Amino acid sequence: MTDHTIEDLLSDDEPTETPDDGDARTDGGSVTSPFDVVSQYEETRRDRYRKLYDAYVYAPVSIIWKDWRARIGFTIVAFYLLMGTVGPLLVDEAVVAEGPALAQPFENWAYPLGTDDMGRDLFSQVVNATPEMLKMITSGALFTVIVGTTVGGIAGYKGGTADTVLSSITDVFINIPAFPLVMVLALLLPIGGNPWVIGILLCVASWGGLARAIRSQVLTLRQEPFIEAARAIGVPTPKIVFKEIIPHLMPFVVINLTNAARRVIFEAAALYYLGILPFENLNWGVTLNLAYTAGAHYRPQALHWFIVPMVAIVFISIGLILLGQSLDRVFNPRVRARHEKTTEATEDPEEGDGTNTDVVGGL
Amino acid sequence: MTISQTDYESSSAKGETIMEIRNASVSFDMERGDSRVLDSVDLDVHRNEVLGVVGESGSGKSMLASALLDAIVDPGVLTGDVTYYPKNETPVDVLDLDKQELKEFRWEQVSMVFQGAMSSFNPVRKISTHFIETLNAHDYNVEEGMERAQQLLRDLYLDPERVLDAYPHELSGGMKQRALIALSLILEPEVLVMDEPTAALDLLMQRSIISLLQQIQERYDLTIVFITHDLPLIADLTDRIAVMYAFEVAELGPTEEMLERPAHPYTRLLLKSTPNLESPIDEMQPVEGSAPDPVNVPTGCSFHPRCPLADDTCKMNDPEAYNVDATHHVHCHHWEESADAIPMTESSTSVESPTDRIDRPTTRATRRSGDQPLVSLDDVEVHFEKEKGFFDFFSDPETVKAVDGISLDIYEQDAVVLVGESGCGKTTLGKAAVGLQRPTGGSINYRGEDIWDVHDSGGSGTLDWGEIRRSLQIVHQDPGSSLNPHRRVKTSLEEPLKRWHDDLDGNDRKQRILGLLDHVGMSPPEDYFERYPHQLSGGEQQRVAIIRAMLMNPDLILADEPVSALDVSLRVEMMDLMIQLQEMFDTSYLFISHDLSNARYIAEKTGGRIGVVYLGELVEIGPPEQILHNPQHPYTQALRWATPELELAAGMGDDQTGGSPIRNIDIPDPTNPPSGCHYHTRCPEAREVCKTDSPASYQASDAESHRAACFRTLEDHEYWNSDSIVDEEESFDG
Repeated sequence: MTDHTIEDLLSDDEPTETPDDGDARTDGGSVTSPFDVVSQYEETRRDRYRKLYDAYVYAPVSIIWKDWRARIGFTIVAFYLLMGTVGPLLVDEAVVAEGPALAQPFENWAYPLGTDDMGRDLFSQVVNATPEMLKMITSGALFTVIVGTTVGGIAGYKGGTADTVLSSITDVFINIPAFPLVMVLALLLPIGGNPWVIGILLCVASWGGLARAIRSQVLTLRQEPFIEAARAIGVPTPKIVFKEIIPHLMPFVVINLTNAARRVIFEAAALYYLGILPFENLNWGVTLNLAYTAGAHYRPQALHWFIVPMVAIVFISIGLILLGQSLDRVFNPRVRARHEKTTEATEDPEEGDGTNTDVVGGL
Repeated sequence: MTISQTDYESSSAKGETIMEIRNASVSFDMERGDSRVLDSVDLDVHRNEVLGVVGESGSGKSMLASALLDAIVDPGVLTGDVTYYPKNETPVDVLDLDKQELKEFRWEQVSMVFQGAMSSFNPVRKISTHFIETLNAHDYNVEEGMERAQQLLRDLYLDPERVLDAYPHELSGGMKQRALIALSLILEPEVLVMDEPTAALDLLMQRSIISLLQQIQERYDLTIVFITHDLPLIADLTDRIAVMYAFEVAELGPTEEMLERPAHPYTRLLLKSTPNLESPIDEMQPVEGSAPDPVNVPTGCSFHPRCPLADDTCKMNDPEAYNVDATHHVHCHHWEESADAIPMTESSTSVESPTDRIDRPTTRATRRSGDQPLVSLDDVEVHFEKEKGFFDFFSDPETVKAVDGISLDIYEQDAVVLVGESGCGKTTLGKAAVGLQRPTGGSINYRGEDIWDVHDSGGSGTLDWGEIRRSLQIVHQDPGSSLNPHRRVKTSLEEPLKRWHDDLDGNDRKQRILGLLDHVGMSPPEDYFERYPHQLSGGEQQRVAIIRAMLMNPDLILADEPVSALDVSLRVEMMDLMIQLQEMFDTSYLFISHDLSNARYIAEKTGGRIGVVYLGELVEIGPPEQILHNPQHPYTQALRWATPELELAAGMGDDQTGGSPIRNIDIPDPTNPPSGCHYHTRCPEAREVCKTDSPASYQASDAESHRAACFRTLEDHEYWNSDSIVDEEESFDG
């Protein structure tokens, strides 16, 4: 790949060679010739920020934008995020008798998705329930992934007693029947409708499977030569686990993140529907429950009451799945390298042909 | 690249042609362009010959093998003609056969042995099932077929009852490979195509299989096409050799011609770059540059970017076949000048005596044996306990003695090369020496302190664990997996500096790394700095891995087969680089190699020692001249025999030309090693006393550092009065 040969090297470096100073160098304090090379290259702060921007913002976004799944998923999730943040400011809370009872959707733009039997605007109900749902999703999904990855990663890497203890705890949580536990805890604990706590509560037993899967992956990865090399360099254990090993598992972790998020949505809706979770405001699940008790499933004129919250649930779920599936490309170094301006720009064309372009066909 | 038909007709007059390839091309349609992985190849295979096809990885040699059977995988497209000439029958156009005919043609006429015997057998079925299925699928009589199978297995020195009744995992790699050869011969094919059949095996096993192939070929009147990257390996076996470069045949000729008077510059350079035991090490030169990409093959002669003889003609015109003589063809415009331009220095067939080498220092290890060793291994044992099943609860656990009592001193600026078969414990020993594997017995001392004592006590003495960790580094075998694929070259190389030189800021770190990258020939370094490992070639990845170890400024580096994953033409270059870095950084090396020629290259260039490991024991250690030319232990002699020579058996001593110096091809089960001297089951010199007594390490010759663990080095040992246990009947090859 390079034009240099050993002869060139030898002749180049003769002047820099230092005499053997034998015993003096017993530790790593003094370092010889190649380190004395003065670089003509100063990296400025601006360069560094440009590279950081390139690696963490530009490349991921440009990768995502090449994939239709990601575009759709990203758009859906962004829409829900907007609905959860800006939405409540624009749309007033639903109040009783703001319109006629059971108005059909798309009839009147004052209540575009129709109303329920008490004349409350369904669109407003959906929008105003979104912030609370998003908080639940965030806390639940992050809790699952963080606990699962940490426990699984450490158990797999450390082995021995740490593994035995952590794996036993994991097994206990896997074997607890999750739904009844959540029901009992929801009734016992004074959660008072705090969405962050509810999110964690819904996921309290769901991290076990992820931890087990991560552990088995780490068990194979820890045998890899590059991990052994990191150990030989003396990199501390947490850094090895989180900087060297976990990046390999990110596609898997992200899929689990979105799955955990969907699980929170479904469980929350189910528990609100069953009336187990305490609530203060109307909510997708509560709306479903009200529609059911009002017999919406057999009254055609009330059917939209049922459908509107369901569509809200299904769409965010689809959005999350598509986004999760497409994100694994972001974590693939081959794909990343192709999308970065700085890497590409400095690559000489000859070299690129030999090593890099074999993956271009993949797009 | 077209050849007039007459050329080949004249050449094939000598031997009858059995397969004929004309203008065969294979192309893969890729989005970045048409990838030609076989480019207008013309080749004749003669009846009952052994044709060697040699090329570096990615030269299209496996595609040639697949083309012979019309077995190119989708979406590859094969064009051209492949004709098969059965005895006394009409020729068959292989590419025109329909599915049923093709099925009969493959295996019954032409069969193939693949590279990975490990994955060629279904792990949940017995070996016999594979034979029966093959026979059934081709409507052969199973009983007759199985009798033939037993005979074949016996011919390959396998116990038919045992092998047929075994599951694949119960056989060693070499046994599986031999069973696979038997399976490929079960339908009595005329032609056997072997695609790197020995690449995954040990030297000794490779060599044994090669000599078995010679016998098999004669006995069954086979035509063999042997594809390999290892030219010396097949020098004895083949009748003709074809050298492939960049998806074309570069040169074709009789083996003797090819080795002694190669005409293509590439062949000459390849021969020169191949490490071997005989030619002086200063003559070994790497081939500069690297093989071309299949999408972007250079115009004209594909070798011209790397060729010292290239001129404008080579850039414009693809050379046709020039006839050196009736049987020797070369695709080079300047073949007549190549001999003068690239001298091969006829290496003398007589063994160079050690005293001739005045330019080389006497071994440094000898020179400073009085000094305190840098790392000293004292009776180190590493035993692995096999996991016990639930029902084995009360039985004793099975232990594998990976390292069984080895003592070794490594001095500053020393180089020790460990050689041995796979599974003999050399890697485990190496990892124990650099503190990555805790020994179960004995001690490892770094500058006089037991490293595991320091580790446990948290560094109460003059040394702490971090200091030891920094001083002992490792370079792995496979460069592809020794760098984290998710981290850039930059991040990987900054890691050691961040850890051990936290006084440096980002720019200083970068300067140092750039300086080193440039130094090892990766320029422009700013470019490589930002790359991911997959954007580097294998050689470049290995350089980065070496730099990473060097940035720690270590005292000892364990290099675990650092060149065996690289192409032959790159190996010498990489070893030169490592030796040069050693001088610069004042490190010591513990090299691990399964290849005696690489070991010799390193040891001679650095004035180090070669240690031979067998079943967890260090059986012989000494300076390379002694190990190679005066081996005392019978196992070292066997390794010496197994190392292929380029000079057509001329380099071997008289006692070795006859056949293998081992009695038993297969290595004993390491969970249950033989009593006494572990080697007595395979040793041609073994006597009764070897069964019971285990030899210690004795002074083996005048060289101070030369020691061997064999009774034969002692003049007055009871060994000489003991009865020989060698039974001529059981001897493999006897």
